[in-house]
Amino acid sequence: MSRVVVIGAGLAGLVAANRLASAGVGVTLLTKGIGGLQLSQGTIDVLGYAPDRVTNPVLTLSAIASARPGHPYAAIGAAGVHTGIEYLKQLLPDLLVGDAEANYQLPTAVGAIRPTCLVQPSMVAGHLKDGAKVAVVGLRRLKDFHPALVAENLARTTLPDGGRLVARPVSVDVPARDAEVDSSGLTYARAFDDPAFRARFAAALKPLLGDGETVGLPAVLGLKDRTAWSDLADKLGHPVFEIPLPPPSVPGMRLNEALMASAKAAGVRVVNGTRAVSVRVEDGVVKGVTVATAGADREFTADAFVLAAGGFESGALALDSYGTVTETLFGLPLAGLDAGPLVHGDYWGPEQPLFSVGVRVAGDMRVLDGNGAVVHPNLYAAGGIIGGSSRWAEKSGDGIAVGSAVVAADSILEVLA
Amino acid sequence: MSHEGLEFAGHELARASLDACVKCTICETMCPVSAVTPLFSGPKFVGPQAERFRNGDSVDHSLDYCSSCGTCTLVCPQGVQIAELNSQARAVMKADHMPLRDKLIGQTVLMGKVMTPVAPIAKAALNNKPIRAMMEAVVKVHRDAPMPPPQGQTFEGWFRKRPKPSRTPTRGALVFFHGCAGGYFEVETSKKSVEVLEHLGYEVIVPKQGCCGLAQQSNGLFDQATASVLKLCDDLRAAGTDLTIISSSGSCTGMLKHEAHEIMGVTDDKLKDVGTRIRDIMEFLLDLHEAGELPTDFAPIDMTVPYHAPCQLKSQGMGMPAVEVLKLIPDLTVVESGAVCCGIAGTYGLKKEKYDIAQAVGRPLFEMVKKTNPDLALCDTETCRWQIEQSSGVKTEHPIFLVHRAYGLS
Ligand SMILES: Cc1cc2nc3c(=O)[nH]c(=O)nc-3n(C[C@H](O)[C@H](O)[C@H](O)COP(=O)(O)OP(=O)(O)OC[C@H]3O[C@@H](n4cnc5c(N)ncnc54)[C@H](O)[C@@H]3O)c2cc1C
Ligand code: SF4
Ligand code: SF4
Repeated sequence: MSRVVVIGAGLAGLVAANRLASAGVGVTLLTKGIGGLQLSQGTIDVLGYAPDRVTNPVLTLSAIASARPGHPYAAIGAAGVHTGIEYLKQLLPDLLVGDAEANYQLPTAVGAIRPTCLVQPSMVAGHLKDGAKVAVVGLRRLKDFHPALVAENLARTTLPDGGRLVARPVSVDVPARDAEVDSSGLTYARAFDDPAFRARFAAALKPLLGDGETVGLPAVLGLKDRTAWSDLADKLGHPVFEIPLPPPSVPGMRLNEALMASAKAAGVRVVNGTRAVSVRVEDGVVKGVTVATAGADREFTADAFVLAAGGFESGALALDSYGTVTETLFGLPLAGLDAGPLVHGDYWGPEQPLFSVGVRVAGDMRVLDGNGAVVHPNLYAAGGIIGGSSRWAEKSGDGIAVGSAVVAADSILEVLA
Repeated sequence: MSHEGLEFAGHELARASLDACVKCTICETMCPVSAVTPLFSGPKFVGPQAERFRNGDSVDHSLDYCSSCGTCTLVCPQGVQIAELNSQARAVMKADHMPLRDKLIGQTVLMGKVMTPVAPIAKAALNNKPIRAMMEAVVKVHRDAPMPPPQGQTFEGWFRKRPKPSRTPTRGALVFFHGCAGGYFEVETSKKSVEVLEHLGYEVIVPKQGCCGLAQQSNGLFDQATASVLKLCDDLRAAGTDLTIISSSGSCTGMLKHEAHEIMGVTDDKLKDVGTRIRDIMEFLLDLHEAGELPTDFAPIDMTVPYHAPCQLKSQGMGMPAVEVLKLIPDLTVVESGAVCCGIAGTYGLKKEKYDIAQAVGRPLFEMVKKTNPDLALCDTETCRWQIEQSSGVKTEHPIFLVHRAYGLS
């Protein structure tokens, strides 16, 4: 029997499983599919807007935590986020750089400037300074990236620190594989893993670059080979940075695969492709979670459970046609339902209250009911299932996931010790 | 179309699940076939997208390149039955012009019956270049594709003729399902499974049994496959209707647990009965361990061994029980391959037009296996073992071999 069962393999579940297992605890990770990391930019947002652009995420989240007691950061705390960010960097030393005290400001695939906290080394040169000269390079057969859109928007943007830059689009046509006219970013990433392809690509691009230009490329510079981007930069003789694309997100896949690999290496038993469908609770204590495997159902018992099943987007929360919101596995009490109509009609207006609905947690990440009492003594929550914030508007979802996962894991370790 | 299976495929379907698709591309990123060839447009396109327009034939004929490995369904977080949709649509697409080869390679029992009595000759024939070239030309089975190793004795023959087990059972009875491969080709795996179960104190009953029809199903022959699987259910139920059924044939177990129902729409109660009572042998051993009932007096095996979990085992949604069980053996280091698929996908990689794709799919695995241990690899299903062994040159066995050895039985 594993001592802890973690439900969900998004950022929150993977971090919690890693932390528990590396402390020597037996962990089973149950998931009905791959989590949300592959849909992300492959960076770690801690706090981007509050509502103004944030430059020091930890500092600003401390202010939010004291002003908004229902915000997840009030429960996790600046210290929890700090611990989480440091832990994640330590887990993925060759994939994430940065620190919780400063945001990078990076170009997006539409040429806006996005604040984010930890970034991949291949993106660092995208933190642009006043006077920068940028060549935004597109691949003709990669339809998800439009260099002119990016370059023109960047050129008319004032950088967050007031600076300006010049940017121009460049297009090259180097097929990822023969006879394919419409290749996905992932197909290109696999091609960039091959040094021979990188050499061909560099040879085609180098003559088109001007003196002193920094090269922005779609984030497809290798999936497995962590040195693909720096090797390309060397071959070009120019600094290079990656700009994340819509899914499939290659930087997100890198994070997902690395976290899954480290979890397995730490001894986590991963059971994929199985939805948790019911729970067994005795005297308030969660005893087991049953998953719908092929053939007969199967119960996983444990001392403690971490619910890291995400939110609406992953089916952990559901809204029916009567406007009733439920947490679909445990039927947990939800916060944020009394904020008036859950959906208002003003599309461009304030955040829809619906998206802040979720469970409320104590400082140790145990789930609370409406009266602030612990629902099950051995049930912890992490990530998107925790309500109280509009994560994509604040750009806080990753920080909440990592912080809550680490705090939940540490609380469990303390109890089990 | 009057066939029941195809009717299900044409109309009923796991089709409702396609509406759950949010176009997240997660399935795309894991498909082993579209990763290596531009000829296949990938699970999201041929699956939920093309299915929406399908009225009879699929609108995307690249569907034929789907190997039905099931990876897409496994990783989809929204519950879309992508691989099942593909298998159904392909069966409809091929219904009017089923290649002779695809009809023949579904006949696993026949192959076993023909080859066993003449094993040395069969072996020689399968290793003979001109014969294989002829096979490739006539039935379009690639000349280098892995073939089952003919054996001089069937499992049934061994089971009947061996001396009675000396130990009296202490734990009750189990039914053993060996599958055609386990009956005719991978006889050693079946023997070792039975010996481990008997060592644990079980009485092992082996009813006379036929084929589960998996190879017919994956080649789109739903009528034959349905008849086979239902006949097999009768065979297995003849040994008792409340005993646990154990199998060391990972893919056939999957056919009984879910594929016959989910892909062909077989709703017969006897399938449900067998499908809920059957356990993969490593799954069963892990269950015993978790219940505190597995003796762990294993002798150390000082070895590092690569383990590959086959797609059809992974798609049963139980994780990788073999890894957990093998962890109990002292000094043994098991390295999980991390590979999505070995390429063979049942009979896919045998086919002349698919052979190169299947080899490309399996290449990272073959490299990993050779690097990890040039003498031994582990994998739970037969055709995958043949593929790994043939393409990497590394002997590949069922994980039960090491359990058998660690119990001092070999
Ligand atoms: C459109 C959108 C844009 C966003 N943009 C941003 C952004 O820019 N910045 C930011 O910081 N955050 C953003 N977020 C929020 C961010 O995505 C989430 O906060 C974060 O991904 C949550 O991670 P998680 O691990 O909690 O959940 P997920 O990544 O959703 O993982 C949930 C896991 O649980 C599994 N699961 C669910 N139910 C079950 C069950 N019953 N049984 C078994 N397994 C189950 C799923 O398969 C999955 O593996 C955005 C969210 C959305 C929807
Ligand atoms: S993984 Fe599932 S939801 Fe995502 S694109 Fe594929 S079928 Fe659709
Ligand atoms: S079943 Fe396998 S080969 Fe077919 S689409 Fe899905 S992942 Fe690809």
